[in-house]
Amino acid sequence: MKVSLFITCLCDTFTPEVGKDTVELLERFGCEVDFPAGQTCCGQPAYNSGYKSESIKGLKQMIKTFEQAEYVVGPSGSCVHMLKEYPKVLADEPEWAERARKLSGKTFELTQFLVDVLKVEDVGSTFTGTATYHPSCHMTRLLGVKDAPRILLENVKGLNLIDLPMKEDCCGFGGTFAVKNSHISGQMVQEKAEHIEETQADYLIGGDMGCVMNMGGRLRRNGQEVKFLHIAQVLNTQ
Amino acid sequence: MSIKIGHKPYAERIQDGLNNSFMRKAVSSAQGRFRSGRLKAAEELGDWEDWRTLGEEIRSHTMENLDYYLHQLSEQVEKRGGTVFFAETAKEANEYIQEIAKKKQAKKVVKSKSMVTEEIGLNETLEKSGCEVVESDLGEWILQLDEDPPSHIVTPALHKNKEQIRETFRKKKGYTGSDDPVELAAFAREQLRQDFLEADIGVTGCNFAVAESGAITLVTNEGNARMVTSLPDTQISVMGMERIVPTWEDLEVVVSLLTRAAVGQKLTSYITALTGTRLEDEVDGPEDFHLVIVDNGRSKILGTEFQSALHCIRCAACINACPVYRHVGGHSYGSIYPGPIGAVLTPLLDGYEDHKDLPYASTLCAACTEACPVKIPLHEHLIRHREIIVEQEKMTTTSEKIMMKGFAKWASTPAAYKLSTKMARTTLKPWTKDDYIEKGPGPMKGWTEQRDFPAPSKERFRDWYQKREQRSDH
Amino acid sequence: MAIHNREAFLDNLAGQLGRSRKIKVESPHYSVHPQERVFQGATQDELVEKLEDQCKVIHTSFMRTDLERLGETLRSVLLNYDVTKVVGASGPRNDETGLSNVYTELQAEGYDIHIWDKNKGQENITFAEQAGAGIVFSDLTLAESGTVALFNDRYNGRSISLLPETFIAIIPKSTLVPRMTQASQLIHEEEKKGNPISSCVSFVTGPSNSADIEMNLIVGVHGPVKATYIIVDDI
Repeated sequence: MKVSLFITCLCDTFTPEVGKDTVELLERFGCEVDFPAGQTCCGQPAYNSGYKSESIKGLKQMIKTFEQAEYVVGPSGSCVHMLKEYPKVLADEPEWAERARKLSGKTFELTQFLVDVLKVEDVGSTFTGTATYHPSCHMTRLLGVKDAPRILLENVKGLNLIDLPMKEDCCGFGGTFAVKNSHISGQMVQEKAEHIEETQADYLIGGDMGCVMNMGGRLRRNGQEVKFLHIAQVLNTQ
Repeated sequence: MSIKIGHKPYAERIQDGLNNSFMRKAVSSAQGRFRSGRLKAAEELGDWEDWRTLGEEIRSHTMENLDYYLHQLSEQVEKRGGTVFFAETAKEANEYIQEIAKKKQAKKVVKSKSMVTEEIGLNETLEKSGCEVVESDLGEWILQLDEDPPSHIVTPALHKNKEQIRETFRKKKGYTGSDDPVELAAFAREQLRQDFLEADIGVTGCNFAVAESGAITLVTNEGNARMVTSLPDTQISVMGMERIVPTWEDLEVVVSLLTRAAVGQKLTSYITALTGTRLEDEVDGPEDFHLVIVDNGRSKILGTEFQSALHCIRCAACINACPVYRHVGGHSYGSIYPGPIGAVLTPLLDGYEDHKDLPYASTLCAACTEACPVKIPLHEHLIRHREIIVEQEKMTTTSEKIMMKGFAKWASTPAAYKLSTKMARTTLKPWTKDDYIEKGPGPMKGWTEQRDFPAPSKERFRDWYQKREQRSDH
Repeated sequence: MAIHNREAFLDNLAGQLGRSRKIKVESPHYSVHPQERVFQGATQDELVEKLEDQCKVIHTSFMRTDLERLGETLRSVLLNYDVTKVVGASGPRNDETGLSNVYTELQAEGYDIHIWDKNKGQENITFAEQAGAGIVFSDLTLAESGTVALFNDRYNGRSISLLPETFIAIIPKSTLVPRMTQASQLIHEEEKKGNPISSCVSFVTGPSNSADIEMNLIVGVHGPVKATYIIVDDI
C-alpha cells in the first residue's frame, strides 16, 4: 500500500521525531511511504481567521502536491480535517472542487488510518509509564475520530492510561485564538493543565501537535513535570 | 435595553469577566450541571441523533415556508379573538404596545421572561409612558431590581451569588431574611403575588407559536408565565418571527428537545399553550389578546447562508458547552445573546461595527455545534463571519492583514516555505533559551504571555527524510 | 380583532427567500420518527409504573386508588397537607366519579370547599388565591414526563391548578399515554377536524420550581409548592 505522508507544518518544523515515528509505524505495517516535498501548510491559520481568498492559493498547492497519492496520511486530526474542508472552500471553482474532493476522499488521520484502513488495533509497542490522553476537538468532533486513539493506546504494553477529567473540553489552542485572545486561551489551557495535574500522570499524550504545543508550553511555564508526547511517539516505542 | 449591553470595549469586558472569580466559579459549576443534565436526558430518551435530525428538519421546513406559517398563525389568532401586529422594527413593536397600555390606562404591567422584549427594550418604553413594569421570573426580577443585564438566556442571573441577591432584596424591597435560596424565593413569591393580582396587562414572550391552531406556547418552571396569562385582563405576547412551528406534532418535538437541551428535564413544570382570548363562559385568562410578531433584523438572515441561525430554539446548550463562555461569562459578549449563538446572531441582528470581536471569541472547538439540538453549524457560521469581517467589512488591523498575506504567500510557495522553516531556528535564536522561548517577539507575544514556545528543531522532518532517501539510494 | 401590517411583512419574507408568497404548503415528510418509539407497546399498567417512577424525579407524591376508595384517599391527602380550604374543578366528572358526594361530605365535616362556578366570576379567583389546595381531573396524562395535561375551560379554571399552595390531580388510569407525542397527535387531529383547541392547555409537571439562585433547585416558586397525583385504577 502506497502512502504519502502529510507531515503538517508544525511537525515538519518543531517535532520531526513525530514524522519519523509516523513513517516507521506505517512502514512496519507494510506501507510504502513517500514524502511529496511540495507540501506546505494545510492553510487553516488563514482560513479559520477569515482570510479565505488568501488561503486558496496554498490549498491548490497542497492539492497539486498530493494529486498522485494513493493515500494521504497525516499525524493531525485538525490538519487532516482541513484537507477535507477543501471541496467546500473551493466550491466556487468546480474543477478545483473536484480535485479537492479526490484529495479529501483519500486523506486520513494517522490513528484512523491504522485502525480503519490497515485494521490494526495493536501496534505491538511497549511504553512504560502512566499517561493521560487529550482527545483534540477537531479530531473527535469534526473528523469524527473518537475511538481509534483510545483503542491503539489501550493495547500498548506497559502503558497505564488514566482518564483525563473534562477531556472533551478544548485546551484553548484554537490556532490564532491562542494569540488573538491570549488571555482567554491562557485560562483555558491553565484549566487543562490543572486537570492533567489531577491525573498525576507522567505523560500527556495528544494527537495534534498544535494542542500538544499549547498544553506542553503551559505545563512547562507552570513548572509541571509532565512530559508531553504525540501519540505517534508512544505507538512507535518498542 | 437593546441587543447591545454596556459601552466598554471588548478587551475590557473580557478582562472584567476573567477577573470575576465568583462569576467564573458559578458559571463553571452551572455548566457542569447543565451539561451532565443534558447528556443524561438525551441518553434516557434514546435515539438522540434522530431527534436532532428531526428537530433540524422541522426548523428548516418552517424557515423555508415562514411567510405561509406566519399567515396561518395570524388567521388562527384572529379567529380566536386575538389581534396580531406585525412589527418590522423594535420601534414599531414598542409603539404598538405602548398604545395598548395607554388605551387601557394601564398602571402596572407584569411580565414573564422574554428575550425578545429585552432585545427591543420594551420595559424602558413602557416605563417612559408611566407604567410600572414588573419582571416576574425570579432571575429577571433580581436583575431588574439590581438594574443589571442578563448573562445567560435561560438562567439570566447566573452571575450573581445569594449574598448579592439578599443585598438587592434588602435595599430595594426591605427584605430582612437570610441568604437561603428557599427563603429568598419565598420572599419573591409573596412580593410578586400581589403584582400578578393587580396588573392590568400581562406581557409574555413566546417559545413557539403553533401555526395550525394559533397557540402561543410558553415553557417555564416557576409558574409565573401562567400567572401572567391567567390573571390580568389583557395579554400581550411578543415573539421573534422565527419562533413558530407548523403543527402540534412539530411542537411536541421541539419542546422535547428544548427542555432536555436546556435543563435536562423531560418537560419543564409548565408547558402552557394559550390560544386567543378566554371564552365567554370562562372566568380567568385575558379578555383581550395581542400577538406582536417582531422582525427587527431577522428577515435579513432569511435566504442567506446564515439562515440556520434562525433555527435556534434558545435552549442555551451551546452556551453551556462553550469553554470560552465558562471563563469570560455572559456580560463579556456585550450582547443580551451571549455564547456561541450570541456570537453568531448578534452581528447579524445588530451589525458588525459593535460586535466584530465576537466571532473570534471561539477556538472553533465545535462543542457548540455538537451540543445544538437542532444541529446549527455554529462554528462554521463563526468562520463565515470572520470571512465577512475580513473580506467585506475590512475591519481587521493592517498588521494582521500583512501577516496573513505573508502566510498565504508562504503556504503557496514551497520554496518560501522551505527557506523560512530552515531559517526559523536561527531567526528565533536571540529569544531562545534551553530550546524554548519564554518571551517572544511580535506576533509571538500573545502566545508567550501565557505559555512557552518551543524552538524550531535543529533538523526539520524533510531534512531527515531527504537524508534517509539518499542513504537508501546508495 | 384585527391583523396589522401583515402583507408587507410577509411579502418581504418571501422576497428574502427568493420567491413569491406561498399560498399552500404540503405537509412535509420527515426522515425519522423517534418520538413514536418511546414506550411503544406499553400497557396501561406499565405506564402507571413509569409515571410512579417519574413522580420521584418531579417532587410529586404518587397515590394509587380506585373509585370506591377515592374519597378516602383524597381525605388522607388533605389531612396530610393539613389543608381545609379547597377549590375544585366542576363538571360532569365530579358526579360520574362520586367526587361530588365526597365534597359534600367534606363540607359537612367543616372543610371550606369551593367548586369552580362560571357564574361566580372573580369570586372563583379570590377563593383560589386563598385556598390551600386545588383539585382537578387530568384530561391526558403523560407517563414519560409525569405530566398532567389540562384543557382549561369553564369547569376547570386556570387558577385552580395555579394559585393554591398544593396541586392535587386526579388521574383516571385511562388518561395515561406514553408521552407528549400522543397528546399532540390528539390535538392535531381535533384541529384538523375543525374542533378548536381550548383557550389554555396546561401541561403541568409537578410543583413549580426554579434554579435561578446559584443553580439551587427551589421547589415551589410562583405556582404550587407541593403536588400529589392520585391514580384511579378503574376509570
